[in-house]
Amino acid sequence: MIDPLAASIKIAGSGLEVQSARLRVVAENLANAQSTGAAPGADPYMRKTITFESTLDELAGAELVHVKNIGRDSRPFRIEHDPGSPAADSKGFVKYPNVDTIMEMADLREANRSYEANLQVIKQANNLSSMTLDLLRNAS
Amino acid sequence: MIPALSSLSLLPGALSLPQAAGAAAQAVAAAGGSGGAFDHMLDQISAAIDNLKAGEAAAISGLEGRAPVQAVVESIMTAERSLQTAVAIRDKLVSAYQTISQMAI
Repeated sequence: MIDPLAASIKIAGSGLEVQSARLRVVAENLANAQSTGAAPGADPYMRKTITFESTLDELAGAELVHVKNIGRDSRPFRIEHDPGSPAADSKGFVKYPNVDTIMEMADLREANRSYEANLQVIKQANNLSSMTLDLLRNAS
Repeated sequence: MIPALSSLSLLPGALSLPQAAGAAAQAVAAAGGSGGAFDHMLDQISAAIDNLKAGEAAAISGLEGRAPVQAVVESIMTAERSLQTAVAIRDKLVSAYQTISQMAI
């Protein structure tokens, strides 16, 4: 139904939205990499995960991408001995979030690259459609 | 804001590229029979331009709201492309009309 070039722009647009949501999750994980629990011995911040799924858009007749779920990583927390911390339990151990900064940076880079790729698709489709339109304009 | 804009594509004025080309061809073909085809086509296209301007204004005001910037950019680009299509077809129609009106009798 829809113009294929316009559909490409719509699909790549959904990619942009999804990758920016992923960037948001990475930002949350990085910002909370040191967030301990509120009470002594309480669980700290749990790393968030994001998954995507493809959904059929009826209007565009194309498979767009959407965020499927933002969940929690169930890996064990990092435990450090720090008796002075307000979050330390009776033995002086503090639970730190299960966030691996290196992994978050890798995820950040991947989200960035994917976002750029989708932007490039939009640029190309826009360029092609205006070039096609120029045929109408210049031929006299 | 965004649903209002996307509903624009349902209007007769907002033409996709192949549809518009077909419509333009029909208009030119019909011009031999009835003199009103050009007028009718021009009316339709100017209505499309009005609609698209409204769409762009809506998208810009969406920047102040909670719409993500990607969605705003996407709708403005869609509006821009439809506008450019409409303008190109209008120019083509005007030049076709002029060609006919300047024809040596």
